[in-house]
Amino acid sequence: MNRFLSYTYKELLLLTRDMHGLLLLFVMPTIFILLMTFALQNQYSASSDMQLGYFLLNLDGEADSQRFEQDLLSTNNLNRLEHGTDLDHLRQRTARDESSFLLIIHPDFSANINDGKKAVSLELAPGTAPVVTQLVSAQLQQFINRIFLEKLLIKELDMTAEQAASIEAGDFLEISSLFGEARQQPSSVQQNVPAWLLFAMFFIAIPLSTTLIHERQQGTAARLNTMNFPKSLMLASKVTPYFLINLLQVGCMLLIGVYLVPWLGGDKLELIGSTAGLLTISAAAAFAAVAYGLLIAQVARTVDQATIFSGVCNIIMAAVGGVMVPRFIMPPTMQELSAYSPMAWGLDGFFDILLRNGGVIEVLPEAFKLMVFAGVLLLITLFLSARKQA
Amino acid sequence: MIKINQLQYRYSGSRSPALNDVTLAVKRGSLFGLLGPNGAGKTTLMSIISGQRQCPRASVFIDGSDIAASGNSWKACMSLVPQEYAFYERLSIAENLAFFAAALGLPRSQRRSAIAGAAQMTGLSDRMDNRAAQLSGGLKRRLNLAIGLLNRPSLLLLDEPTVGIDPHSRRFILDTIRELNRQGTTVVYTSHYMEEVETLCEEIAIIDHGRVLCQGSMESLLASDDSNILSLELDGELSQAQFTELKLAGPFDPACRHIQIDVSHFGSLEKALSVLGALQLDIKRMHYGAQNLEELFMNLTHHSLRD
Repeated sequence: MNRFLSYTYKELLLLTRDMHGLLLLFVMPTIFILLMTFALQNQYSASSDMQLGYFLLNLDGEADSQRFEQDLLSTNNLNRLEHGTDLDHLRQRTARDESSFLLIIHPDFSANINDGKKAVSLELAPGTAPVVTQLVSAQLQQFINRIFLEKLLIKELDMTAEQAASIEAGDFLEISSLFGEARQQPSSVQQNVPAWLLFAMFFIAIPLSTTLIHERQQGTAARLNTMNFPKSLMLASKVTPYFLINLLQVGCMLLIGVYLVPWLGGDKLELIGSTAGLLTISAAAAFAAVAYGLLIAQVARTVDQATIFSGVCNIIMAAVGGVMVPRFIMPPTMQELSAYSPMAWGLDGFFDILLRNGGVIEVLPEAFKLMVFAGVLLLITLFLSARKQA
Repeated sequence: MIKINQLQYRYSGSRSPALNDVTLAVKRGSLFGLLGPNGAGKTTLMSIISGQRQCPRASVFIDGSDIAASGNSWKACMSLVPQEYAFYERLSIAENLAFFAAALGLPRSQRRSAIAGAAQMTGLSDRMDNRAAQLSGGLKRRLNLAIGLLNRPSLLLLDEPTVGIDPHSRRFILDTIRELNRQGTTVVYTSHYMEEVETLCEEIAIIDHGRVLCQGSMESLLASDDSNILSLELDGELSQAQFTELKLAGPFDPACRHIQIDVSHFGSLEKALSVLGALQLDIKRMHYGAQNLEELFMNLTHHSLRD
């Protein structure tokens, strides 16, 4: 027991004196959490204050097209930047991303609507995201449909224009989120803390493999071997402190979400879900990360190799696993591929707790996958180690 | 204390053996020098004796026990000081010693005295809080040695313990090793520094290309040299004609002051001396056979220890 505690204590001392390791494990995820939380705040916010700027060219100028203009002006998310007259000039500026899109109201706007012809053109700036295009086109279509409907009512039911305009469609849709007791949309901090926390947990591979490679290169591992220090004990003593550091990362990053992000003006991380479930998925992810570090230490010959290899692998796992790009916006093929990333398993587990209010039962499938992953990596490490010694 | 019988060792994937038919004996209480150039097999031999590498049964015995068959119990009385700085640079001297004392499994009650003893022996007592990374090369070597002394070993294996340090630190380490040996520790000392081995060791083995070329005391090794080499130190220049007449090997260099004549080319020492007399060379010093380890090594291997 004394040997185990001494080795564990030594590892903790070494890590606390490794400035690069500490930056990697604690400062890097903190920065990512803060940056991404604030950067994506609008993407996840229910009351989004995102504004899309646009240029307008009205080639019609009649009452219906002016009404259409007014409808656009009354929309909160759309910001008319200029009502121009020179089509080429507006097109060039839109092509330079000075606005999100250019809206051209065709001549004979009303007649075109009556005849089922194109009445409005939407020309998109190169930097406008497809998802934004879909939202804007839906909104425009809604305004045009309204005009079409009013014309239909006047024509078919002999209503006056005032009567037709006074008919208001009811608000038939009630929207609520199944997140938390307040049933409000989860904020970006709720999505970003687990993602970047998991990313940082797998970065434990770098300090872990570095100390192992140093021990091998500097002869300390061989020296311990001559001191009758059992290899199994060495492995256990190596795994334990890094496992604890992974759990400490979980604690720190959650506290950052709960206290630091709101202090800086962001939303607060809501710690919903069961604590036991959170501990279960955290422990499984920590085992996976530590086993991954041990394998890298076994495969790499130098510290440089280990650093590059684990860094690149982490970024690939994070990109595929939905840390950098949310999985729900990936195409189906990528989503299938991400099902093989341990970071995706871990992320799903954390989301089970922090987004879906889950418990131990809900995270067991992901925890199991992570434990199997850790076990397989550990077996490969032991096999390679035995082969190297033979 | 150590007996090695016809030890063979080959690294996996290597064609030639790292150790070839090595037979050695190290007496209890002796200060034994293992001399050889880099890559001769010294470190491999040390790693086998210290149990890092497995050896065939009945090839290495320590205190009569076959180390391949007797578990790890024999390691308790042995300590290896490797060539590398085998400690943690980010820990202080005290933290390193405390960690390795615990790693050795020393009871808590014994650790404090073991650490104090090792630190005192190596002159590190007043630097215990210094981080290892900040120590000079000499102090790092001392810390490396101090860790090896924590279990008060009866057999101390020192693998090139003075590589890359200043003369003062080297003298300190050599004095410490002498003192340890005086206190009864059996020391096996590997080096490619001949002067160190000459001054330090009572018993010497020369190893090259995995083979032990000879073993014995300094005097007996030099006396047994039958290499037929006549060494001359000249006071003047050597002419091309004299170079050819003496059948010297290598390129001709008129400025060369030290030459070695292979007596076997002349049939006998008497004939070689008569040729020398006829050439009327200006000879400052002359001797027959090896006078020191470097010459002995060259006579045995036909290359320099520093090649």
